[in-house]
Amino acid sequence: MVDTSGDDYSAVLRDADADSLVIIPEGFTEKLENGERPEMISVSGMKSAAAMSNITNSNSGAIGLISECISSAFAAKAGLTAEQVELLQMPVTVTEQTVVKDKSAPIGAASIMSSIMMKNMILPIIVFILIMFTSNMLMGAISNEKIDKTLETLLSAPVSRTAILGAKMLAAAIIALLNAVVYMFGFSSFMSGATESVSEEMTGQLVGQYISVDSALERLGLTLGASDYILIGAQLFLTIMICLSVSLMLGALVNDTKQSQTMMMPLMIMAMVPYLISMMADINSLPAVIRVIVYAIPFTHTFSAMNNIMFGNMPIFFGGLAYQFVVFVICMFFALRLFNSDKILTASLNFGQKSKFKKNTSDNE
Amino acid sequence: MEKVLEVRELSKQYTKVLAADKVSFDIEKGEIFALIGPNGAGKTTTIRMISTLLKPTSGDAIVAGHSVIKDAAKVRECITYLPDEAGAYKNMTGKSYLRFMAGLFSTDIDVINRYVERAERICGLGDRLKDKIGTYSRGMIRKLLLARAVMTEPKLAILDEPTSGLDVLNAIEIRKMIKKLAAEEGMSFLLSSHNMLEIEFVSDRVGIIAKGHLLVSGRADELKERYSAQNLEEVFERVVKDNEIL
Ligand SMILES: Nc1ncnc2c1ncn2[C@@H]1O[C@H](COP(=O)(O)OP(=O)(O)OP(=O)(O)O)[C@@H](O)[C@H]1O
Ligand SMILES: [Mg+2]
Repeated sequence: MVDTSGDDYSAVLRDADADSLVIIPEGFTEKLENGERPEMISVSGMKSAAAMSNITNSNSGAIGLISECISSAFAAKAGLTAEQVELLQMPVTVTEQTVVKDKSAPIGAASIMSSIMMKNMILPIIVFILIMFTSNMLMGAISNEKIDKTLETLLSAPVSRTAILGAKMLAAAIIALLNAVVYMFGFSSFMSGATESVSEEMTGQLVGQYISVDSALERLGLTLGASDYILIGAQLFLTIMICLSVSLMLGALVNDTKQSQTMMMPLMIMAMVPYLISMMADINSLPAVIRVIVYAIPFTHTFSAMNNIMFGNMPIFFGGLAYQFVVFVICMFFALRLFNSDKILTASLNFGQKSKFKKNTSDNE
Repeated sequence: MEKVLEVRELSKQYTKVLAADKVSFDIEKGEIFALIGPNGAGKTTTIRMISTLLKPTSGDAIVAGHSVIKDAAKVRECITYLPDEAGAYKNMTGKSYLRFMAGLFSTDIDVINRYVERAERICGLGDRLKDKIGTYSRGMIRKLLLARAVMTEPKLAILDEPTSGLDVLNAIEIRKMIKKLAAEEGMSFLLSSHNMLEIEFVSDRVGIIAKGHLLVSGRADELKERYSAQNLEEVFERVVKDNEIL
């Protein structure tokens, strides 16, 4: 029994020490017997805004159960037998089967979907953060040399430009790697909590008829082995390398702080578009034209890697890997050329022109 | 006399401007040479080509026997360059900046220490060297950068407007330092400046450059005599005006 005077349902949840509950108000039975439709109040405690944290609402189960009991009570009153009532409530039996390529498992596609989706969410998030973070860092490392006017001094020192680039790239790559490891552990421990609780509930609801989500994944060949993770690692590495070479070029073109923000845009879009698309749609089933365009963005292959490996689309995966390698080589070639040419400096000469004006005025004094 | 720098018909064509047109001059060991010229004359462009930062469109410059085109890496070992508008890493302390830059010129820890000590003595920043460069004034940064440019005992120090942003006393001090290093250590200098007084005091020879052409070069007193002028400023005025008419 809870006291529901007033509108403060948080107190109700607190008093009952529950995450969520269904309130059956006083006079519920009387209203039912009078043939009216009584009211029930479903109170759900929300602990976070993350989509996954509220994926199952246990109240709907409870409400369904109560409604079911009430309808069977009505049915019994009307003179139906228990068997008839059961048939009425579930006129057909559904056995769900999910098929992946040539394998199948007796489980609902929805359960597989939700389980995979969670696991597949980890990688894209990490990759996206990594791309943004790494490119921002390296671009800053290059453009700050220009903005703070330390670049000329550095380039006149007895160190080759390629060595300077190499050092900056290496530093950024190491930090990216450290970040990747940290994010990977953080996210996977966070996500595994969520995944476990959901798959437990899923199997809990489906005892008897179905097998557990994990064993279904295994039977469908949707689990990832060590070699798969190595492939994903290779893809991630190439992605970071592309990211580094592109940010080298963008950083070299920056002249002031304002520009450095604008220069992030191309990379941002290149990462954002495939990230969102791969979250929302299966790229392989998009219309051919759109598919080609989306796959032309090198980062798309990174975001779809896990999916392609899981569902055995190996030609697309390896094609993507090869494509990314080619993109990386081309970008690196142009980055090196940019750095070994005058362009890296001549853009910064804008400053010289501004200062000329200043010098003129001070000469007149 | 041993030549530290030989500039041979050095030209630089930017997309629109011909910023340097067949500039030629020499600098000998222990000599201080100054490029003077109006704004936009091509001083910085010439200096940047000699510092291997820009690739010449044509011509060449030989620094201590190495071509800036073919042997840029070797050239950079013999020179130091102080850009006209230069900064230093704001998050570093003055001392760690000197150490970092010294590390680019040598891998020997004793040599690095010697360079840093030398720079500490020259820059005259004292205890402020322990502070972050972000807290320095413009003049302090300039002095730090000047000290760093001469600490590695380069064969040729290239200083683009060395005393810009310095007060009179500091500027005098820097000029004296340059003269002393040239006389006592045989270091050669390539300077650029707008300050004729400074040039007259500090340099052994001057080159007057306008619109990318090196018009005349020679000792300051020679030039004054040749143009029957009182001071370098008048020489400069006449040379530039004469050539505008042409
Ligand atoms: N990156 C560039 N692109 C195009 N033109 C340039 C560039 N840098 C310099 N110039 C032009 O080349 C000419 C020479 O410029 P430079 O900077 O060498 O002059 P300066 O003699 O150093 O002048 P100041 O005394 O003002 O420093 C100028 O006309 C300038 O506008
Ligand atoms: Mg200049």
